[in-house]
Amino acid sequence: MIKHHPTQEMLTQFAEGTLPASLSIAISAHLELCPCCAKQVKALENDSSERYFVQIDNDLDGDSTTDVDFAEMLSNITSDDSITQVHRYIPQSLQYQAKEVIVPRAIASIERSDFSQVGKLSRSRLDLEDGELRASLLQIAPGGEIPNHTHTGFELTLLLDGSFEDESGTYVAGDFIWLDGRHSHTPRTENGCLCFTLVNSALHFNKGLSKLLNPIGNLIY
Amino acid sequence: MVSQLSSTAVPQKSGHTKCMEDTPTKALSSALVKVAEQRDKTAFAVLFKYFAPKIKRFGIKQYGSEAMAMELVQDTMTSVWRKAHLYSQDKGAATTWVYTVMRNASFDALRKIKSKKEDQISEDIWPTLQESECSNDGFNDHLQEKQIQKYISCLPKAQQEVVKGVYFQEMSQEQLAEQLNIPVGTVKSRLRLALQKLRAEMGDSHD
Repeated sequence: MIKHHPTQEMLTQFAEGTLPASLSIAISAHLELCPCCAKQVKALENDSSERYFVQIDNDLDGDSTTDVDFAEMLSNITSDDSITQVHRYIPQSLQYQAKEVIVPRAIASIERSDFSQVGKLSRSRLDLEDGELRASLLQIAPGGEIPNHTHTGFELTLLLDGSFEDESGTYVAGDFIWLDGRHSHTPRTENGCLCFTLVNSALHFNKGLSKLLNPIGNLIY
Repeated sequence: MVSQLSSTAVPQKSGHTKCMEDTPTKALSSALVKVAEQRDKTAFAVLFKYFAPKIKRFGIKQYGSEAMAMELVQDTMTSVWRKAHLYSQDKGAATTWVYTVMRNASFDALRKIKSKKEDQISEDIWPTLQESECSNDGFNDHLQEKQIQKYISCLPKAQQEVVKGVYFQEMSQEQLAEQLNIPVGTVKSRLRLALQKLRAEMGDSHD
């Protein structure tokens, strides 16, 4: 069962369309796996529409838009009678570790690099150009482990397939795991997994030899 | 309460309405249905009159710019006009539907400013507008070719370049990479995405 969800605040901002693209994609992908949060977002959209379109109507005076501007816009819009054709979406799948899994639509819609491999980790970066945020698909092969690390910024992991565990427990597909500088962990997967990851700065490896990895923290995520 | 107002009735008095006691949700929803089913311009004018000032205010709050807010009105109401056929009353109130159209337009506009990307990913993040089934019968080859051109012209620009280069100008992926000054891997991944999209658009029965 999914135990880790986006916060209420994140869902609210998601419903308002104000989160960064890469985080919106992560939440959209979570909603595909979590009917419970999907339902909440529907309700939040409903609330927002009430707030912006139904409740208020007092201070539209002082609006400098003349009726002429709006009338012109209206006739421009309706003078073109074409409609937007919309077509059935066909889910896209991804082969990994001899399995085929469906990639959530929001993630599948973004161009990404080929997977590049470092040991048991294999990463494909999404081409999002979203400021300092970096989004990737990450595969960890069975028995793979990421050395103990903390985060200088935040690290979001959305588990898409398989499972992994760390010091705080075991995670399943759909879990939306948000960690920041307060957390340090050593994720490990027994049977392999596929994640969507999002970080806003490098990981910091804490122990012994794995400190050597610090320069390539950027490469892993 | 507003009950069965005829759909073309104006749900608010023109000019400076103060506080609305009745929520005109129902009248708006049936106006939207009229636009959906009959391309009814009078019904659309009702929707426009109601939503345009509210969308503008939302835009000003969002961007602090009147010009951008007006663009949001334009984008949102154009989508409402062109996508109304995707609405039906079982999808909920018109106010909620128009809100999601506005939210998506606003998201894409913000993304365009922040990352210079014009990829319009909002419909993949909130796929509520795309649930209708596609019927792809009745095209003969000639029409189909035109149709394909149309689909291609809907792809993001970067993907269009690659598809046109490979299929119309018959360049190799390597040549194309060189001409566009991008890695071959990028050509490949753009092509893959573009073909996936085209296939999805065309109902996946043509390969």
